[in-house]
Formats: sequence, C-alpha cells, structure tokens
Amino acid sequence: MRAMWEFFFGVGWFATLLSYITITTAILISGSLIMMLLTWIERRGLAYMQDRKGPNRVGPFGLLQPVAEAIKTITKEDITPTEADRWVHFLAPVVILASTVAAFAVIPWGNLIPVDINVGVLYIVAISAVHTVGILMAGWASNNKFALLGGMRGVAQAISYEIPQVISLVAIVMLVGSMSVVDVIQHQMDPYGNILSWHIFTPVGLLAFVVFWIASLAEGERPPFDNPEAESELVAGYMTEYGGMKFAVLFLANYLTNFAICAVTAGVFLGGGNGPGSDIPILGTLLSVIYFLAKSLGLFFVMVWIRGVVPRLRTDELMHFAWKFLLPLALVNIFSTSLWIAITRWGAEQGMGVAEALGEPGSIARLAVAWLVTGVINVVAFFVVARINATRGITTYQATPTAV
Amino acid sequence: MTATPEQQTTTQTALRPVGGGGVVVVERKQPRQSYGQGIAKGMGVVIRHFAKSFTTRIDDKSDQVGMFTVEYPEERMELPEAYRNMPILLYDDKTGQELCTSCFQCERICPPKVIHITQAKDPNTGKPVPAAEEFVIEYDSCMSCGLCHEVCPFDAIKMDHFFELSTHDHLSMDRNKAVLDRPISYYQAIAPNLWAAVEANAMKKLQNNIKRRPGNIGVAPHMIGKAQKALPTAGAGGARPAAGARTAAPVAAMGKNMPPEKVERLKSIRAANAAKRGGAVPSAEETLLAASAYTSATASPESGLHTAESDAGLAPSPATTPAPATGPVAAVGQNMAEDKKARLEAIRAAKRAQRGDE
Amino acid sequence: MLKTEELQINIGPQHPSTHGVFRLMATVDGETVVHLEPVFGYLHRNHEQLGEIWTYLQTITITDRLDYFNSMINEHGYCMTVEKLAGIEVPERAEYIRVIMSELSRILNHAAALGFWLQDMGSWGTTLMFGFRQREMIMDIFESVGGSRMMCNYMRFGGAARDITPNIVEQIQLFLEGFPQFIDDFERLMMDNEILLARSRNVGVLPKELAASYSVSGPVIRASGIPYDIRKAEPYSIYDRFTFDIPVGTVGDVYDRFLVRMEEMRQSHRILQQALEQLPQASGSYINQAYKAASKQQGLRPPAGEAYCRVESPKGELGYYIVSNGGNTAYRYGIRAPSLINLTALNDMCRGYKVADIVVILGSIDIVMGEVDR
Repeated sequence: MRAMWEFFFGVGWFATLLSYITITTAILISGSLIMMLLTWIERRGLAYMQDRKGPNRVGPFGLLQPVAEAIKTITKEDITPTEADRWVHFLAPVVILASTVAAFAVIPWGNLIPVDINVGVLYIVAISAVHTVGILMAGWASNNKFALLGGMRGVAQAISYEIPQVISLVAIVMLVGSMSVVDVIQHQMDPYGNILSWHIFTPVGLLAFVVFWIASLAEGERPPFDNPEAESELVAGYMTEYGGMKFAVLFLANYLTNFAICAVTAGVFLGGGNGPGSDIPILGTLLSVIYFLAKSLGLFFVMVWIRGVVPRLRTDELMHFAWKFLLPLALVNIFSTSLWIAITRWGAEQGMGVAEALGEPGSIARLAVAWLVTGVINVVAFFVVARINATRGITTYQATPTAV
Repeated sequence: MTATPEQQTTTQTALRPVGGGGVVVVERKQPRQSYGQGIAKGMGVVIRHFAKSFTTRIDDKSDQVGMFTVEYPEERMELPEAYRNMPILLYDDKTGQELCTSCFQCERICPPKVIHITQAKDPNTGKPVPAAEEFVIEYDSCMSCGLCHEVCPFDAIKMDHFFELSTHDHLSMDRNKAVLDRPISYYQAIAPNLWAAVEANAMKKLQNNIKRRPGNIGVAPHMIGKAQKALPTAGAGGARPAAGARTAAPVAAMGKNMPPEKVERLKSIRAANAAKRGGAVPSAEETLLAASAYTSATASPESGLHTAESDAGLAPSPATTPAPATGPVAAVGQNMAEDKKARLEAIRAAKRAQRGDE
Repeated sequence: MLKTEELQINIGPQHPSTHGVFRLMATVDGETVVHLEPVFGYLHRNHEQLGEIWTYLQTITITDRLDYFNSMINEHGYCMTVEKLAGIEVPERAEYIRVIMSELSRILNHAAALGFWLQDMGSWGTTLMFGFRQREMIMDIFESVGGSRMMCNYMRFGGAARDITPNIVEQIQLFLEGFPQFIDDFERLMMDNEILLARSRNVGVLPKELAASYSVSGPVIRASGIPYDIRKAEPYSIYDRFTFDIPVGTVGDVYDRFLVRMEEMRQSHRILQQALEQLPQASGSYINQAYKAASKQQGLRPPAGEAYCRVESPKGELGYYIVSNGGNTAYRYGIRAPSLINLTALNDMCRGYKVADIVVILGSIDIVMGEVDR
C-alpha cells in the first residue's frame, strides 16, 4: 500500500511530472508569443521593403495586431465542408501542430534545454517529418481539388527536401561526433571560444548551412518554395477549406515550424546561445537566451527578406532543385567533411601519416590545409553543379511544341 | 503549320516606317552564367528600400526610394482643384440666393439620371421662376462624371471635394436641396482658380435672375431667416414663405425614388386635397423653426466635414422634418375659391406631366 | 499497374489570380494541362447596348469602365471614332494632350500589369508595390487634369475637357525624371532572377503563325516576333511625329512578353519626353472651339454613316465601330476588345504546361475583365 502510494504520489515522480508540465506550458506560451512576433516581423519587414508602413494601428507599432487577429480567427464560426471527411479534417491541424510543438522539446533556448536526448538532431528531423502526414490529411479530407493538389505537393516537397536536409546535417554530426544538440552547440564553443568557431565559418559548415537552409525553407513552406499553399495557383492549398480556429492552428503551426527551423539553424550553425559572456553562471543564461533569440530572429528576417524578392518555383523545378542541385552538393560536402576530419584529427595510426608532418592534431597548420582543401572542393562543386543545372537542369521546357 | 512567304511579307509590311525609330528585338538573358547572383542583386535592391524606408519619405515625385505611405485619416493628400467627387449646389454668401435656375440641363445630361429638379413657381402669378423649388441628387447612383457641372450655364452645380460619404443609412444618400447647398466661399476655398475663371459671368447671371425671383424663392433654405434683410424687395407675397409645408413634406420624401413626373402628379393630388381642407397658413414662428432645424442639420457646410451621424440626420424623413419652399401650391389658394384652385392645380399637373413625358 | 485519370479543375470565377470574375475549366493529367476552356461573361454590363441608348457624350463616361486600367486610351479611341463620324477637327495642342495622356496611361498599365504578373508568379508584393507606386503618381496627374483617378472622363469630341496647366506639365516632368530609376530598380530586382528565368523562359509559347491566325495584338503578338503596333502600322493622332521603337520578341514566350512590356515603358517615356518638348509650340487650343460647350457635345448629331477607328491600347488593338443614323445616339456601337481576342489563344498557350503555368500565362496576356466581358 505504501509502495503504491509512493509510486503514484512520491516526491521524485511527481516533481518530474510537474517540471515537465511547467516546461511544456512555458514552451507553448512562448511559442504562441513568438509566433505573434514573427507575423509582426514578417508583415512590417515586408512592408518596409515595399516602401509602405504595414500594420501600425493596433497597439504600439502595431505589435498587438496579431492579438486582434487571433481574437478574430478564434471567434469565427468553425466550418467543416459537408462532403469532407469530418474526423480527418478535424485531426489534420492537430497532427500538424503536435508534431511541430514536439520538435521544440530538444531545441535549446540558449543554455536552457528542455530535454537533452542523445539523438536530438535525428529527433528534430524525424518529428518534423510527421507534419507531412497532417498536410496530406488536410488536403485529402477537405474534398477539394485545390486542397488535394496542395496536399500532394506538400508531401512530395517535404519528402524530397528532407533528404538534402538530413545529409547536410550528417556533415555536422560527423564533425561533432554526437547527435545531441547540446554537444553540437558545445562543439562550436570548444576550441577558441570566439565567433570563428561557429560551424558556418568553415567551408564544410558553410556549404552544409546553405543546403540545410534552402532545404529548410522548403520544409517550412517558405517562399520560394511555398507551393503547397501557393495562393495565386491553389487559392490556399491544403488550407483552402479551413477557417476560424482550425485555420489559426494551421497558421500557428506554420510559423512555429519556421521558428523551429531558425532555432535549429542558429543552434547547429551559428553557435546557439554562444556569445560573449554566455558562460557566466546566471547572467550568462539570460545572455545566452538573448543571443539565441537574436540569432533566430535574424535568420527569420532573412526568410522574410527572401520572401520579398523571389517568385515561386514551379513544382517540377522544385523537385529538380532538390535532387539535382542540393543532393549532389550535400553528398560532396560529406566527402569534404571526411577530408577535414582526416586532415585535422587523424594521425599515423589512422593512415594519415602525411598529416602528422604538418603538426599536432588541431594545430593551425593542419587547420589551414583543411580549410584550403575543403574550400576548394566545395566551391568547385558548387559552381560545377550550378552550371550543369543552369544549362540543362532546372529549366525543363526546351522546345515549343504547341499544336494548332 | 509553317509560315508561308505571303505571311512573312505581310508581317513585314505591317510596319510602315513613320516618324523615327523602327523595330528593336528585346535581348533575352541566357541563364548560363547564373549562380544565384540574380537573386542576390534583387536582395540588394530590396534591402536598400528597406533601409531607406526608415529614414526618408517620398515627397518629391521624382524620388523612387523611401516611405510612400500617406497615413490617411491623419495625413491627407492635397486634392487638385479639378478633383470631382459629388455634385453640390452653390448659393451666394450674402443674399443666400442660389445660382441654380432650374434650366434642366444637368438633369438631361446626367448619364445615370440621378438629378431630379422641380422648378419654382411664383405664388402670385403661378408662372415659373428661374429658381429650383426642389433639387434632388441620388448620391448613391451618381457616377461622379462631372458632366452636370460642365454643362451648367450658370455655374450653379459644382463638384465637391468631400469624399467621406460612407453611411449606414442608404436613404440619406438621396440629397435634397437643403443638403446640397454650399456657399460660394466654400467652393472658392477648394477651387480658387476654377471659380475665378467663371466668377464674373456667374455673378452677372445671378443678378439678373434675382430680379425675377419673388420673395424667398431661390434662397437656400437655411439662409431664409438670416439673409432676409439683404434681399432685394420683390413681389408683395414675398415676405410670407412656405405655407402648407407639412402637407408637402411627404411628397418631397416620396419623390426620391420616383420619376419626377409621377411626383408631380402625386403632388398635385395632395395639393388638391389640402386645398379642400382649406390651406392652413402656419405662423411665422413655425416657419422660422423649420428653417433653423435645417441650419443646424446642415452643420456648417464651409468646413465640408460632416460626420456620418449628421449626414444620416440630413435626410428629411416624412415624419420629423418639414420641407420648406413648397410654397406655391398652397399659396395659390389664398385668393381663390377652393374648387377653382383645385382645377387650376390639376391643369398644371397635367401640363407638367406632359412636359415630363417628352 | 497504377491507373491515372484526368482531373477537371475549375479555376474561378472566384480565384485570387483570374484577374476578375473569370472562369477556367482546366483538364489536367497530374499537373500537366491537357485542355483549357476559358468561360467569359461573368462581368457583362451591357456596355455596347448602353452606348446605343446614351448620347455620344454620355458614352464617354462608360468607355472609362471598359479597361479600367487605361481609361484615357479608351476615351481617346472613342472620341476619335465620333470625330471621324461627325467630321470634327482636333487642334494640334489637343492632340498633344491626348498623346501625353495616352502614353502615361500605357506606362501605368504596364507597370501595374508586370507587378500583377509577378504576383501571380509568387513574388510576394514587392514588384507589385513598385509598379503601383508609378501607377499612383500617374493617377495623381490624371486627377489633376481630369478630376478623377481612374474614371478620368477627360477627352471630349475635338479635344479634352480642360487644358493642362504649366503646373501639371511640371508634375509630368517630375514623374519622367524619376521613372528611369524605377525601370532600373525593377530590372535589377527581377531581370536576372534565376527563378523568374526558370519560370518564364519557354513557357506559354505562342508561335508567330499561330499568333497571327488568332489575330492577337499588343505585346502578345509583338513578343511572338511580329512588329505590329497601330501607332506605326496606321499612325493615328500625331504619333507620326515621334521617334520611338517597337520592341519585338523572338520566341513568343512569357519571358518575351515581360521584356517587351519593359521596353515599351521605356519607349513611352521617350515619346512623353518628345511630346512635352513640342507641346509649347503646338498651335490651337485644348479643344475645338466650336465644340467647347458641353451642351454642344451633348447635342451632337453626326450625319448618318459609319466609322471605325483603332488605337494601340496597352493590351492591343482597341477598335470602336459606330453606326449613326443621324440621331443623337449611336445606332450601332461595337468594340473590338484586345483582351478578349488575346484571351482566346489561352488554350493553345497553356496546353502541355503545368497547372502553375496557367496563372503565369494568363497574367502575361494582361487581361482586364471589364474589357473582356463589357
């Protein structure tokens, strides 16, 4: 009896549950707040790029505009099309939001990490892939041709772009030697403690960053890869038949995905919460959160910036781009990563006696040689692949065969 | 399908060389050398606009970079003089005399037929007077083409610059004379040059017309009380305006949605009925009251900024606001036997109907 | 073995990128268009019948509503037709005013049309806003001369409603000063954009012969390589006095139409500069003095007969056909609307391309439903 009491209401168990509930609540609340901030940044940023003001009426600088819109969408009538598959239609937003929020479990907010699992990087990629199922559910259940096309496009796109995304992450995992997100961030802090230790400042990391970032734009359905919801073609894609609260949930999930992408990119390539003074005991934690948010929001601004410039790719061009451009580059990057590791770390016992002549593992000379070799390989690879794609890859229509 | 030689030649001869210049073939960019620098260039343009938007504002029309927004309710663009929104009627500031002589030119030229005019009659003689008794414009159907103000030989109808007309009361968009009237000084303020060009002519014509207007006929309704002293003394019956206003009010209200000839006929029937009852002459106080009601309702046309509420209140609903300046109908009866009066009225109505049908 | 089936997609009449109420019945195989059937008529407003009921002057006000992006050119064509019918002379200065307004209108239309086209392609608003800023400035000019921004109602038989003051000339000059910078910005923003190239090159190709047999006109036929422009082919007004080039494309795809429009804006800029230079020397008034009074125009009774006049609208060849029986209204009134005729070639342009290309091709034709359905 006592054992049972302790099992259910014992201090350790209960405290763990309580702490997880607290963390989850904190994530959900900050997630919605972040989403509001993101929509504000997006709209004001785009507006200023287009020489106009953007929403500036509700609250100071229009900051409360998302609140007004949240109230509006939540109070709207919840409509399910008569011919729709009711349950699937209802569950799709739930699936999409759940998978997105689950990804936040391992995203480190500076030095604050909800859960540190040893396969964090893999977990992020895997769990965010689940929202593909939700997109397909939404597209299928709406019983609308536009929604179906949008859903199909979303699935095809998400599956295709996951591959370069994961392979570009493999390079980083090889460098770090661990899949834990915390280790990845620690690794960027390790040798010098300065900004140059971020992954993005190595040739390998830079190419991985480019591939990962582009693939992530497609994963997050950001322009120029917003085909699943392409408003000028498919009205709103898989979201066509959603309104009110369900639409708000889809919208929230969309922006949370974008933020997760920015956060992961900031963590993996830009050193997460690392920055001057981020290792001081308590103040450092606060500083690291600020650094992390600054980096993530900066990346989000880049997303907005890209959105202000580019038109949308056609679906087939999108596939070409993933398979013919990003994937080869990611594979080449794995090759140069292994070269990097071999040159900087290996010695005679791994068969790299040549490298030993340059100096100790991790010495400046060895790093310089690794920089040179991988840099040349990556740059050449980039230009060759781009050239091949530009001349006969991405543009598909060659002839002009229209019959009378 | 291949191009035959004939087709080739026709396409070539389709272009006769005239003036200078010829044909240029546009240069197609080849995407061979593209490694993303095109997008990078575009991003450069966009970020320049982004940065400049914080610091500069486009005031000079030749400028292309900077904030372009005019934040409307607080900031307003300057409207050009020629701007035209909805038609208004002008009256003289001092005397309150309207420039309109009800020549029906605007009614005839109006493409969507939204202008409805009733000509004023001399209460003593029954002859038409160069003034409008009632002037209704359906603002909701007006297309703001400005033909009415172009055609008006007396420069009485002009296009307003006031454009915030939205209202929840659809009926208030039928504007009658009392609401349409604006002093000349108002128009002078919004379009000084345009008015200066026509002023002399318009004022000369107005002076001629005032001589032919007995009493308060042709005076803007809310100016009746105020501007009486300045009036040139005309016919004997002039001092006493607007008898039988109450009976005529529903007619005016009805007229909004009816063709004018039908209104006329209705009005004559009502007038006949009223005459049978014996034309009641309201006291001077009552008339003044009606006039002041209009003055307050018109809410200082000089400012040109009435709120939606006051606009809504402007429409004279049959129950509340009596329409003035419907004098002649009842005034005719003062010196005549009742049946004679009714007969006269019927004849006139028939004539009017005939004229309307033409 | 998987079986595939053709899918019918109904795009419109309510759809974000059909440019008005317009319906497309697309039969697709996967994402490839097999057949495309445009359905018109959702915006029919009885324009031609109204033109037979209203007097000639009153009809000017509704020609504005045909192609509401360039009301000035619509008015120009209509007034020319009635002038031909009634034998009204147009003074030289009035002709200059008309040409200035028409060319401003062309810039307005192309700037906005390219913005809309890129918006259809998915470029989120930036190009549209840049284009709309030009439109805004030109509409300010129209407002100063005509009184209204879109429905100008400015041209009259024998000239224009009022003269353009030195103030307005200055305004136009200011606009012309800044305009090249817009073209530069637009070009740097979009010309080299890899995605734009990928999406527009060899898309929606209309071969030369097919374009001629569909009798399409405007930038669409010029992009197909036929230098057909009414301003040169049958110079009306005073277009024979200006030096300007006709841009033509080589392939006839969407990209060529984009380039042709860009070049046409530059040429319009050139014409405007020449026109403003020559304007002070132009003789005569802004309107034929015999027809200055609006009542004269209202009472216009052209002798019995018929007239057809055409102008180069930004969309193509805009023709007006009027038959008079001597009365004060037209006996018969017909319009050759360029948008409608260009739109008929849509099926052949779209077949074989993807669903996403439909909206891009449709945007490249640059239709205004007010003109298509009338």
